[in-house]
This record gives sequence, C-alpha cells and structure tokens, in this order.
Amino acid sequence: MSILEGLRFYASDTVIHRLDPRVKFLISMLMLIIVVMYVEVWMLTILIALQAIMAYAAKVVRRWLKTIRGSLPLAVLVFGLNAIFFISSGTYATLQEALYQSTALAYRLVLFLSSFSIFFLTTTPEEIGLTLTSWRVPYPYTFAFISAIRFTPIIAQELRDIMDAQRARGVELDKGGPLQRAKKLVPILVPLLANALRRAYELAEAMEVKCFGATKKRTSLRELKMRYKDYVVLSVSLALFSLAAYYRLFPF
Amino acid sequence: MIRFDNVTYVYPTGVKALNGVSVEIGRGELVALMGENGAGKTTFIKHLNGLLKPTNGKVYVDGKDTRTLSVAQLSRVVGIVFQNADDMFFLPTIEEEVAFSLRNLGFSEEVVQKRVDWALKFMELEEYRKRSPFLLSGGEKKRLALAIILAWNPQVIAMDEPTVGQDSAQKEKLKEMIKQLNLQGRTVIISTHDVEFVAELRSRVILMSKGRIVADGRAETILTDGELLSSCSILMPQVAATMSRLADLGFNAKVISVDEAVRNIVEVLRRFEHTRGA
Repeated sequence: MSILEGLRFYASDTVIHRLDPRVKFLISMLMLIIVVMYVEVWMLTILIALQAIMAYAAKVVRRWLKTIRGSLPLAVLVFGLNAIFFISSGTYATLQEALYQSTALAYRLVLFLSSFSIFFLTTTPEEIGLTLTSWRVPYPYTFAFISAIRFTPIIAQELRDIMDAQRARGVELDKGGPLQRAKKLVPILVPLLANALRRAYELAEAMEVKCFGATKKRTSLRELKMRYKDYVVLSVSLALFSLAAYYRLFPF
Repeated sequence: MIRFDNVTYVYPTGVKALNGVSVEIGRGELVALMGENGAGKTTFIKHLNGLLKPTNGKVYVDGKDTRTLSVAQLSRVVGIVFQNADDMFFLPTIEEEVAFSLRNLGFSEEVVQKRVDWALKFMELEEYRKRSPFLLSGGEKKRLALAIILAWNPQVIAMDEPTVGQDSAQKEKLKEMIKQLNLQGRTVIISTHDVEFVAELRSRVILMSKGRIVADGRAETILTDGELLSSCSILMPQVAATMSRLADLGFNAKVISVDEAVRNIVEVLRRFEHTRGA
C-alpha cells in the first residue's frame, strides 16, 4: 500500500515542483539508465544521495522514504533468490562475495523503483498529461494514463473501506493457511471490481457531458515552456549522465 | 456498555481525527452522533468494533478493552452498518449475503437458516431473497446491509450516515426500524447530519466538532440551541426554527418534532380562544 502512497501527488510550490515536467522526466529516465548500467554500490549510493537532495528540496522526504520502504519487500525477495542461486551454483569464490553481490542487486532494484518517485511526487497528473501531449501522444491515451494515476489513491481508499466493511461482518483476513487466505480475497476483490466498473461508467458519462473529443485539436489552459532554469538543470543532468556513461565505457 | 476514556486517534497520514474524547453510552440507549464533515463521527464508530484502536486512551465495550479483542470477537457485540452498502456485496443472492456473515461468526447451519429468514422478514426483503444484491435499489441495498448485521443479533448497532441518499418513505421506514430495535433493548448509535431525522427520533445527541465532543444531551436541548448548532455547521430542525421565532407569542421554543409542535400550537390557540371568549 505504501508504494501506492508514493505515487500520490500533493500540491506544493518548490524549486523542484516548478521545474518543467519534461526535465524531471528526463532526469528520472537518465537515473534509470545509469541504474541499468551500474551494479556498483558506490554509484547507486551517489544516485540515492542525489534523489535524497531532490526530495529534500521538494519537501517530500517523508513520502519519498515511504516509496523506498514500499519497495523493500521486493528487494528482500531479490536478495534471497540471488543469494540462494549464487551460493548453490558457486558463482562467487567466497560466501562474502556472493552475499555482497546479492545485496548490490537488491539495492539496485530499490533504485530502479525509486528513480521515478521524485517525478511522480512533484508532478501533477495535469502536467504529466501536458508532457505526454507535447510528445504527440494522442489525447485519449494520455487521458487514460492520467486517469489511472488520479484514481489510484481513490481505489486504495476504497480498498480500505471494503476491508473494514468485510471485517465488520466477521471476515478474518489474517487468519488461516495460504489457501484459506486466498479465498478471503473474494469478498474484497468482487466489491472492488464492481465499484470500479460503476465508477468507470460514471466517468464515461461525465466525460460525455463535458463533450470529450468534440474537437480534433485540443487547446489547454497551461502550456509547457522551457525556461532558463530548466535549461540549466537539463544541461547539468546531461553532463553528469555523460560522465557516468563515459566512465562505464572507458574506466580511468 | 461502551466507554471512551480520553481517546485520541491519529491517522497514519497525521490527521488527528479524535482528540481527547471521553463518553459513556449505556445499554439500551439511542444515540445520534452529529457534527460537520470531518468532525470524527466515522472514526468514532470504527473504534466501536476495533477496526481502529485508539492512539491514546482506551475504549471499553462491555467492560473489555478493545485492544485485547479481535474485530471478529467485537463484531459479535457491536454490528456496524457502513455508509456505502456496495462495499459489502459479492455473492449471487441476498440470502447468501446474510448467511455469509453468520457462517463467519460460527453459527450452526440450522441457526443460520432461521436467522436469515428472520432478518430478511424484519427488513422486508423476503420477496427478493433469490435476487442479486447488485440489482436492488439504493434503499433496498441499505436495508440489506442492515439485515446482514442484524442477523447475528448484536447488542449494539451502529450506523454510519444511514439516511444519505434515501427518499422520505425509506427514511420513515428506517426510523421505525431504529425505534423498534431500540425498544427491543438494543443500543443503537447512528451518525448523521440529518437534523430532521434526529428530531423525530428524539434521541440523545452527541455533538462533535474537530475531533472533540462539544455537547452531549437530549435532542430537544441540543437541537434548539441555534448558536451551538451553527458553530458546528448544522441547521436547526425546521420545526424548532419556526417555534423559536414564534416564542414571543407564547409558543414553546424547545419543541423539535411535528407532533409536539402541533400539540403546542393547538394548546396556545385554545388558550387564546378561551381568553377572548371570557
């Protein structure tokens, strides 16, 4: 649940929030590429430090940490599987080395998931929409995407409400073996799905009332415009990225 | 029956929804929990069966600390009907919905059948027993949600916003059912903004604002206190507002229900006629 919380946008006005969303997207993308290129712990640590600084500047440190915490179970799983594989296959000479490599892989996964969290934490769904539109993504697709983001927290809340309602009638969600527990998901998932379908119909009607798709060419109230500050941030990010890429290809 | 001892509850998001709430609700009482949106009514109700446990302070149900019991154990004593009935339904027929909860709570099959029959009859849903809960009207869904809870006969019944989206005929029915349940000795707690509904119930009123209890007393005292109500974004019932404007002419300003108002008006008019005749 906490990983969903990380995708939720809270309005705020900081340097990071004011950056052009396309620049933020690009920074996240570059970080992701570096994560793909490097498994080294030192580089991952630099990246996470950079993210922490950005989170601090955007005043979203607590929620950023929440996303990271949300990715931990998956990281533990990756660590476990790799450790088992490395040790049983004898890929590395020492146990220490095998454990170190498994940790690095788990660490990398955390970075993989968190690289976009700053972008999502500081960009409104509307700005994401504008970004996609500026890249000529057809609006119906953009709309579907931003609706998905916008409805995620609502559905998460609904999930909690449904769980409360079912627990109030004696469903004990955390009792019994795996099979019994899986069976207990039915009273949760069926109402969730039914409510989601109902909401989809309502949204479709609301869209029609507001003449969705009436004109081919959409205009929008706000338009994205790169400013001096955005160009500076963009050049610095690209320079750092080139350095990292260069070092990967030709280590000094 | 229920005791809140200086209860504070803070949601994980940091919102303080209850702030030092202390209150006692006796067995067989009828209580209306009132207050503006975000006053803490739903949070209060979720503490009754342990869905939420206090951040600070204690909640006692039937003398037992709710921290020591599971939601399923507490639900045997306190049945909660939530605002959105749709959050409950997932089975193909209404009777299966009612039976599901009873089986969860461990009743024998024989008892389950009897209780299903009784609950559907009481809520006037017998004729639909083989119908899908998704095909019911809004009012019927609400009644089914109540039937599901009533089926296991909890001593306390709590309803969150039972009148929202209900037409006047449904509300009338609901009011009669609440009164009947209360007469049978059950403790009934409802949370609502609907002053007219509470005026007709003539219950005890607990008024909440910003996580605190700001007033606790009889409906006729609280619902005629215009200043107090407006500080909680609640309007006086129409009868009370009318009567308080007529108070100068000798009408009783502390009247909240239509029946009482009619009685008082007739009485004042008789007196008037009498003095004119004399």
